[in-house]
Amino acid sequence: MSERNPLLRWDYVVAQRHTIIAAVIEHVQLTLLTVVLGLAVAGVLAAVALRWGRARPTIGAATAALYTIPSVAFFGLLVPSTGLTRTTALIPLVAYTLVVLVNAILDGLDQVPPAVDEAAEAIGLSPLRRLLGVRLPLAVPVIVSGLRVATVTTVGLVTLAAIVGQGGLGRLILDGLRRAFWTPLTIGALLSILLALVLDAAFVLLERRIAPWSVRRPASRAGAA
Amino acid sequence: MQLELAQAALPRDITLAEWLLDPTSWTGSSGILPSLLDTLALCSAVMLAAVVLAVPSAALLAHLGRAKVLSAWLVNIGRAVPTFALAALLVPVSLRTGLGFEPWPIFIALTAMALPPIYLGTYTAVSGVDRAAVDAARAVGLRSREVLLRVELPLASSVILTGVRVAAVQVVATEPIRAFLGGDGLGRYVRDGLGQRNDTLLLGGAVLVAALAGAVGMVLSLLQRAIEPTGVRRLRPSVRSTRIATAASDLRTDPDTAPHASEPPGALTGAMTLTDDERD
Repeated sequence: MSERNPLLRWDYVVAQRHTIIAAVIEHVQLTLLTVVLGLAVAGVLAAVALRWGRARPTIGAATAALYTIPSVAFFGLLVPSTGLTRTTALIPLVAYTLVVLVNAILDGLDQVPPAVDEAAEAIGLSPLRRLLGVRLPLAVPVIVSGLRVATVTTVGLVTLAAIVGQGGLGRLILDGLRRAFWTPLTIGALLSILLALVLDAAFVLLERRIAPWSVRRPASRAGAA
Repeated sequence: MQLELAQAALPRDITLAEWLLDPTSWTGSSGILPSLLDTLALCSAVMLAAVVLAVPSAALLAHLGRAKVLSAWLVNIGRAVPTFALAALLVPVSLRTGLGFEPWPIFIALTAMALPPIYLGTYTAVSGVDRAAVDAARAVGLRSREVLLRVELPLASSVILTGVRVAAVQVVATEPIRAFLGGDGLGRYVRDGLGQRNDTLLLGGAVLVAALAGAVGMVLSLLQRAIEPTGVRRLRPSVRSTRIATAASDLRTDPDTAPHASEPPGALTGAMTLTDDERD
């Protein structure tokens, strides 16, 4: 087995490069789509929590509950109604990002010092403009930290979306397992691990760029802002 | 082979309730009960390994105030690595080293997933213990090891247990991917349901997996409350530092920690630090 079926056969990788590249693109697309949709839904939920403060614990509990649904069960529960489609992959993926993103948005807004908001009010800004023009920009570093966690988690979960026929690199892994042919498995697994680490590193750089003070003194983030 | 067996055992037109209420669904080699025990056994082994690896090392490093940056790095990388991909990557490695298809790859991948929350919980909990309590413990003559075991760990226990619980729930929720990596466990029905396009099996399997994760989460929350040291639980409200300082000095009267013949040199320094802090 080891001669014909090593962990990685370069000739196969070269021959299948178009399939592999397509899988990477599909993986990245599904990840980005998930995070963008997740941010949009989280934004709406955060707005509801801000407008009606009493809804905040409920939203927190509901998004936390969604996060605890096992991924295999979540994908499985949807297949009878939505089939082996991208929708079936997207619903759980987006649902899993919400707990992190809603909390990031609300925590980010909470940590803006009240004095900043008062100053904005004193110069005559309306509540909406204070929120969107003053508090939200100051919350961006915290929101980006949330996006980092959501993105990296999603890369891993997209791999698993292969069980419902979606999600790029995971399909290479399952293909390799079914045929007991290790090259697609190794390539799929290595690339998805690499993708997660690269995106994580990219977010670290982004965090440093937009909030250099947070690297040195995480505790006084709000004060420095 | 297993796929065919499961298919033979379950006609297509059976309803979800019929499947779940039929005793024969629960017994037999591919039954729900053995699959459930299989899953719980693997998860227990994973948690045991993860706790043994993470809690002592994190507690000791936090006690010594070492490896802060390294810890953060490892935790971040550990969190970023996708569990399914890691387990898959280990399948051919496990086969080649003669360990077989199962369950080493999923065991290692799940352990790697459980380590970061436990390690981080322990590290932050121990390093977050009120310095006044640690200084007081030193001042009354506790040795470094005793400070860790009798003051820092008890005071950190609640946060440590939370980390362990979070990891356990994550492990139970992720274990079903094992069914897609050549193993069985409770995830097998989702896999077989997908493979056979049998919605009853698929939905039933998904419900079982979700119910187990929910049940484990609830049981562990109750368990955490039950095993938390009662003295520490009583500390929490109001004046934490004074109560903790009292608890530390109470240790002196404990026969197990009788005053030492020679006071460790750190004790005096500790006492001075304490008064210095109070003056600020």
